[in-house]
Amino acid sequence: MGLTFDERLTAICARMRERRLDLIVAVHDGAHFIETPNPVMVLCGFKSLGPAICLLDRAGATTLIVAPAWDAERAQALCPKARVIGTEDVVGGLAAALAKSGKPAIATAGLAFASFGLARRITDLVPDAADDIVFDAAARKTDDEIAWAREATRIAELDYQHLLETARPGMSEDELATETRWHSKSLGAEDNFVLLCASPHNRAVAPSNGRRIRDGDIILAEITPSFRGQLAQICRTIVVGTAPELLRRKYALVVEAMNAGIAAAAPGARMADVCRAVNATLERQGYGEYCHPPHIRRRGHGLGFASMRPGDVALDNPTVLEPGMVFMIHPNQYLPETGYLLCGEPVVITARGAEPLTRRQAALAELR
Amino acid sequence: MFTMHPTLLVGPADWDQVRMPKDEFLGRIAALWRACDPEIAGAVVYGDARHHAELAYLTHFTPKLEPAIALIGRAGPPRLLVGGGVNMLAAAKPLTWIEELLPLREAGAALARWRTDLGSERLALINGDAMPFGLRQNLAKALGSPSDVTETVAAEMRRKSARELVLMREACATLDAAVVAMRAAQRAARGMTDVVLAGERVAQRRGAQDIRSLFGPGGTLGPFLVPVAAPADPLQVYVAVRHAGYWAEGFAVLATSAQPTAAQARAVLDEAIGLARPGTPHRALARRVAATIGAGRRHPVTRETFGGSIGLALPQPGCLTETSDGRFAAGETYTVRVGMTDSGGSAIVSAMVAITDGGRDVLWAGGDS
Repeated sequence: MGLTFDERLTAICARMRERRLDLIVAVHDGAHFIETPNPVMVLCGFKSLGPAICLLDRAGATTLIVAPAWDAERAQALCPKARVIGTEDVVGGLAAALAKSGKPAIATAGLAFASFGLARRITDLVPDAADDIVFDAAARKTDDEIAWAREATRIAELDYQHLLETARPGMSEDELATETRWHSKSLGAEDNFVLLCASPHNRAVAPSNGRRIRDGDIILAEITPSFRGQLAQICRTIVVGTAPELLRRKYALVVEAMNAGIAAAAPGARMADVCRAVNATLERQGYGEYCHPPHIRRRGHGLGFASMRPGDVALDNPTVLEPGMVFMIHPNQYLPETGYLLCGEPVVITARGAEPLTRRQAALAELR
Repeated sequence: MFTMHPTLLVGPADWDQVRMPKDEFLGRIAALWRACDPEIAGAVVYGDARHHAELAYLTHFTPKLEPAIALIGRAGPPRLLVGGGVNMLAAAKPLTWIEELLPLREAGAALARWRTDLGSERLALINGDAMPFGLRQNLAKALGSPSDVTETVAAEMRRKSARELVLMREACATLDAAVVAMRAAQRAARGMTDVVLAGERVAQRRGAQDIRSLFGPGGTLGPFLVPVAAPADPLQVYVAVRHAGYWAEGFAVLATSAQPTAAQARAVLDEAIGLARPGTPHRALARRVAATIGAGRRHPVTRETFGGSIGLALPQPGCLTETSDGRFAAGETYTVRVGMTDSGGSAIVSAMVAITDGGRDVLWAGGDS
């Protein structure tokens, strides 16, 4: 695949010249939500503690404005090519930088996802947006990012094994989720989006709460470690006790649907085609009405700081797949007989098709 | 303090009606209405995983994943719009005393219906600046021109009830346990991230709702990014733990030998704590700390701010500055920080303090050892 960070920046600069833009102002408010894209990380690779703004001029030079001011030293160490400004007020820092730059054609990226209090001050300075230029270029991961996704996946699989060893009746969902998150940090993950819940008949996968796990529950776990800012996710389903035959059969169906999606995820295919392939498997078994909201609205999603590219595995996503794209394929299906079932793998698109990053594919697990 | 914000909040956040009864929340809402323009018929309260102190104060709800919006009218039961579809509502129910939960995806329509039910155009908005820009624009029509009463709620939140003070003390006990565990790991010459994880482990097992750590050698501070196997002596740590909604934070210097700079910082901290009593201006404490340290020895982390009020939110920005207009009042809780850098090294130490009628209680204090 061979994409480097510098090549990505070069591509962004080329689009800026086409659009006659002098400067892009990338904004992030410091809240690292799994599905909120982070244009600052796209442009300079810096994961901030607080609000951060990265300026990219069309020659490829970057200026990074970070809050709090004391975090500038870390920013400079991580982004040695950037000019780093530490401040308590990133918008004030931006205004000063823009006044010095004298560049008339400026556009923002990431503003819609930033907090209103931050964004409204920036729209006064820079009214136009160029999110497409930044996030289009990040649709394909760099070689480093793919390597980090592989490491995050390795951690996820080890963390899942730990979950299987520690989960037991009487433990609360919250306790299991926090234990899983802590263990992944001990394996090297700097964060972990652990969405975990349990019930004999789950309606959806939801954040954990204080409910105690019981015999007969089905535990749903999305384990999503972050390694150097790159997330990778595995979706797994565990039965507390012995799985009934019906549940085994239905889980096999969901795995079959996932594999249909993986098979469809080839270069040149569209994200909608992947979704359609997953749906078709389930529709053939009479679950057509459960292939749409409120039961499901997508069959996967992008991962990490440019998650809007390639975006959701959804019927309304026309994105054409290219080698180097990394995203989740997860049927994650509600079935009336069993409830919600989680099954999903992170994949990287290669010239040969979708390569799952996991060593072991999802299989229904039993806690005995 | 800014810390690295996690992608999902995973700790225990269920509403415990024995420890924080519904009446406590109803009292807070009544206080809000007393402080608001009587023409305002309802309040829209926004919260997300990062900024939800006001939402938690009024509803107990912690948005672990997606944002939430509470619709609280002067009359009628409140409603809570939570992220996700209708299938996610049941999982959110144990986290709040509010009975009517609706999906946030229909926020615009729900807000418009609610305004119609209220029979008034006058709304208050709380924490609206934290809303994502796109969501705020989508809701602009339904919100109309709301009065921002975030500061009104924030003022109420500063003074803690007896129940809140109990929880703050428990948070400080968990903070202490975490720092003790980190100190033991540092003395055992374990790697820097192992030291931090040892403290986080203890806090997690004590039921902490959230734990944030920063650490570094030589007085520097940074988040966990990749494992660091090398030990550090001294090791500067910052730990914030959230217990039953309430934060306690602490700075400490972990070392196997005496650290003169840390000892000096602790002496300045002790002097500062002595100034914290009802009626004392915040700036008096800040100016004393600044003068004692001297301009040339201020640590970058505490260059401008020496702490602030703490409770349902980690203080940001802090109010213990040399230009603050505020004063200490009984019932408030503060974090007080002192950082120094000189030829002998760098150190930041801090304390958690509750202001009482007669002075203050030190809930936790960190130094070097």
